[in-house]
Amino acid sequence: MGTRIEAASALTSHGWRRPTARHLADAAARTCLAYAGKEAGDVDILINAGIYREDNMGEPALAALIQEDIGANLGQPPVGGQGTFSFDLANGTCGVINAIQIEAGLLRSGVIRVGAIVTSDVDPNLKDPGAAPFRPTGGAMLLGWDDSVSGFTDFCTETFTEYEDLFVSGLVWQGRRGPRVPRRPNGQSQMIIDQRLGYQARLADCAEDATRRFLGRLGMGIGEIDLLVPASSSPDFLDPLRARLGIPGDRVAYTAEDFAGAYTTGLIAALQAAIKSGRLGDARNTLMLAAGAGITVTLALYRQTPP
Amino acid sequence: MAEISSKQADHWLALASPRPEGSWGCRIESVGVKLPAQMLTTRDLMNRTSHRTRIQLERLTGIHERHVVGPGENSFTLATGAARDCLAHSQHQAPDIEMLISTSITRSRGRSSQSFEPPLSLYIKQAIGATQAVNFDLSNACAGMLTGVFVLQDLITRGEISCGMVVSGEYISQLSWNAAHQIRSLFSKQLASLTLGDAGAAVIVERTPDGTPGIDVIGFTTLAEHSRLCLAFPSTVGPGAQMYTKARKLHRVAIEDMAPLVAEAIGEAGIDLADIDYLIPHQTSARAIRKGTEEFARRLGAKPKHVVLNLEEYGNTSSTTLFVALHKYLEEQRMHKGDRVMLLALASGIQIGIAIFTIDSQAERYGHTH
Repeated sequence: MGTRIEAASALTSHGWRRPTARHLADAAARTCLAYAGKEAGDVDILINAGIYREDNMGEPALAALIQEDIGANLGQPPVGGQGTFSFDLANGTCGVINAIQIEAGLLRSGVIRVGAIVTSDVDPNLKDPGAAPFRPTGGAMLLGWDDSVSGFTDFCTETFTEYEDLFVSGLVWQGRRGPRVPRRPNGQSQMIIDQRLGYQARLADCAEDATRRFLGRLGMGIGEIDLLVPASSSPDFLDPLRARLGIPGDRVAYTAEDFAGAYTTGLIAALQAAIKSGRLGDARNTLMLAAGAGITVTLALYRQTPP
Repeated sequence: MAEISSKQADHWLALASPRPEGSWGCRIESVGVKLPAQMLTTRDLMNRTSHRTRIQLERLTGIHERHVVGPGENSFTLATGAARDCLAHSQHQAPDIEMLISTSITRSRGRSSQSFEPPLSLYIKQAIGATQAVNFDLSNACAGMLTGVFVLQDLITRGEISCGMVVSGEYISQLSWNAAHQIRSLFSKQLASLTLGDAGAAVIVERTPDGTPGIDVIGFTTLAEHSRLCLAFPSTVGPGAQMYTKARKLHRVAIEDMAPLVAEAIGEAGIDLADIDYLIPHQTSARAIRKGTEEFARRLGAKPKHVVLNLEEYGNTSSTTLFVALHKYLEEQRMHKGDRVMLLALASGIQIGIAIFTIDSQAERYGHTH
């Protein structure tokens, strides 16, 4: 008995005039539901793990707007009906695995029957638009309970705080110069993203350490991992990591070039590629790996073996 | 260990209820608060609006004053202060915390009015020495802290972790200043921004020893059809955000839809509303809370023994209100072992969260500062 991946869907903003975080996540969620043959009303919990939005909205949770857009249980709450609970989770590119851990637990408890995770990132009013370390993308995945597989069995999150300054982002108030003029903005909050040299290399170092410790704790060798699903296919990160861990290229779920620079959607894009190629279905042990600001590394082991 | 019984099929709420014969028990072990020393009265705030509004805010809301940050204070310092206060009331040390969830809506730290990456939870766990904790930020408007408790409760009852912390620091009075520049009348959608106050709050949730009372029921739902009734965006008036609320409709929907959800939760707990000793609702306005409570009593045929209101001295401290109120009542030794408490979260989304728990020995660790 375990949590099973029902479907995954990722998309880029190609052909979109003005992509928004909400609409990218909406589209990915609808496609994902169609892949899984489910209705929006089947979703009991919806977690949005995307980070960067065009309007930097503070509240409500973007997940609530996405729930409304896809039409998940919008009616009044009669006793005995079914509702959907939505919220946002933020942990950079690692947030998707944190969200999987939460939903896998709620599925195991029987609190929910179907969980959805959505992601999306777009230009967040960057002070320097060229500094965006990502490309607008959106993703969604559905999780359900399956009595015939082990599913997600183990999770790990490690932080390497000595590298916390290598990637920092936040809104900074930029006041307008000159005297205050009625009806004119006094300034605006702009997103500053500061990525230092060597960040990708340190991500690979930390991911390697965390992966070895995680597998060591589980008593598994690298050779027992049939498929690696990474959140980033950046060659600066993935190539040294793969080489040092000794994972052959044919055991890595690479994303298509379209998804180069996918941020929080990276893991779901890789998952979609693995599902479409049939490699996820063939793999007994799949390792999902994300590394991001903090530096934080999250890992999840997905087993398609009998429980 | 047996799994928790599933009730999802019978409930509108995503509802968890640990069973004595099944999973581990779970309880709120300690609560901590950090309040800025500086106070701002409603009269002073309304005297500083750019336009002559004629709004009698104190009479409308019951808010006399609120705490506001001083120099060097922000969301991070409030959250960290609250986390330290929580540990001071706890039997746990910082290294015992296995998961730390930060749920601040405002995430100001350093020069950043809204920190994005790394998550604020990373800095908080470092500051308090919770080095082993898994950390992430969770955003669910004013229901954030109770959502964090919902998440921890599931991990604890399944035995995945034994101790976690939810923390929030809200430097949200910036919204009041931004609204004060623009607000012209009682009908402004920014009226609710004038009710906000700053505060930090933290709560430790832990696995309970066998037979010890704790969280009876905790559940959440999102009434997303009304997701646009309260929206906040970065301001162009000053640092921080601006919030636009259709307050009357929000309260009407909340009162209408909350009653059946409260009925679900108390039904799951196997109790009656009259068995609740203290109802702590999200603190918005005294008038709205009284009206809502009367409506519950009318629909559910019973009412809680006490309804907690602390608006007069704190205002609406957004995601921290429930735990600031709980902390105040524990410190004043109004709550005692065996008292049953209902926390009722209401937030933009619309998010509705309900937790019912029983006060245990934690009450004995409060009140010595008075």
